Amino acid sequence: MRKTARSAAAIAALLTALFAASGCATTPASQCELSGTRDLGASIASAKSRLGEGCVAHFDRYMDQLIDVAAGDPTADNKQAFSDFLLWTSDQGLLSRRQAQETWNRYFNIKFVSLRGDYNNCAQTCPVKARVMADMESELADKERGLLQAALDQESYYRADRLLKETELVLEATCRACAAGGR
Amino acid sequence: MKLTDRCRSGRDLAPALAIACIIATVPLLTGAARGPSLQLFPTTVLEDIKETGQVAEEMESGLQDIIARLDRQQQLHVQSKCEGATDDPGCAQISRQLGTTYMEMLETMSQRLPDMERAVNSTRDSLETRLRAELGLKMTPWTLQETLLGQQPEGSPSVEPKLRGRSGLRLSQRFRQYYQLVAQSGRNTEHSLAVVASDIYLDMEEASVLIAQTREEIGRATLLEELNQSFGVITPEMQAVVDGVKSILFGEAGQVVELAGPPPGSGEVAYQSPLEW
Repeated sequence: MRKTARSAAAIAALLTALFAASGCATTPASQCELSGTRDLGASIASAKSRLGEGCVAHFDRYMDQLIDVAAGDPTADNKQAFSDFLLWTSDQGLLSRRQAQETWNRYFNIKFVSLRGDYNNCAQTCPVKARVMADMESELADKERGLLQAALDQESYYRADRLLKETELVLEATCRACAAGGR
Repeated sequence: MKLTDRCRSGRDLAPALAIACIIATVPLLTGAARGPSLQLFPTTVLEDIKETGQVAEEMESGLQDIIARLDRQQQLHVQSKCEGATDDPGCAQISRQLGTTYMEMLETMSQRLPDMERAVNSTRDSLETRLRAELGLKMTPWTLQETLLGQQPEGSPSVEPKLRGRSGLRLSQRFRQYYQLVAQSGRNTEHSLAVVASDIYLDMEEASVLIAQTREEIGRATLLEELNQSFGVITPEMQAVVDGVKSILFGEAGQVVELAGPPPGSGEVAYQSPLEW
């Protein structure tokens, strides 16, 4: 009986040590909250601090909150602030360079991250055209928050909006032509 | 050493090599070095577009009066409250006139349809081949969106071709515009040309379907005539054919829905992130 209790205590100690070593999992959600400031610089500093303390799992939520904060004080400089923040996450090894690029481009570039690939359109895009268009629609909503609301870049946002419509038309025609070639 | 620099010292080269240099340099000087250009509108496609426009014009002029008469008779039918009034001799007469005019429209179309069908299908097929090759097989999704965005300098006004079905123009006018746009365009409007090519191709597909429907309707109407059945009233099928013809040929159903335009450029140099693709 005493032997069993000792084994259970050992297992519990081992589990505690494992959780402690994994960092993120041991950080309680309450400790991963960002500071309530509406200043973007201070919010980014808070996010960096939390991410450094092991709250990496909360990155998407931080990004969402930071965009909201930026929309409260929109300026063209916000693009750079986010770029610097994402470069920092990449340098710290929290995100890969590719993830950092995808995140920045999703919010602040005219071009669509959803429309990428290494193969030709007939082979890659056309079979999943409906999904690609749905993803682009969703990305346009993020560009609205990033380009339009956070960075006040109306020109780029409206160009992205038009690019989406042109892509829809061109893919409609191109995919029909691709399908006709396979008849 | 760049190719052009090497060729500048062509005096020292053998004549054959010098000629090869000139041949190799010409595309660089004419701008081909900016990247592979889109071959969406070779001369054959341009000729097809031009011919389709001419055939459409002939068809329009043949049908314009008939369709106007059909509209007037239909209006009279409605105003006279002839709906369901089968026993009224006046209404019966209007109905017969409607049927006769409708038959006249179908006859005129059947005369013009073979030429129109040939022109439409030829344009559609040649554009189909070009679209498949240039945008479908030679481009990745990323290069496609780069092509659509073009290489416009910041703040320069963008060229925006009208999107399909929204021009409110006659088919022949639309083709005239297409032809002019394509024939006069330079390399810097490739992004617009991709849109225009797609636009024309989808228009041709639609027109091709309409032609098939119309031919079917002509066959059906002829059969009814042979069975000595009068039309009586314009059926929904007949109305759909008339509306389709009006929409495609005269652009009457189209509403101009403009896309949101960009605000005037601020002139400031935009921030470029090191993360930007």
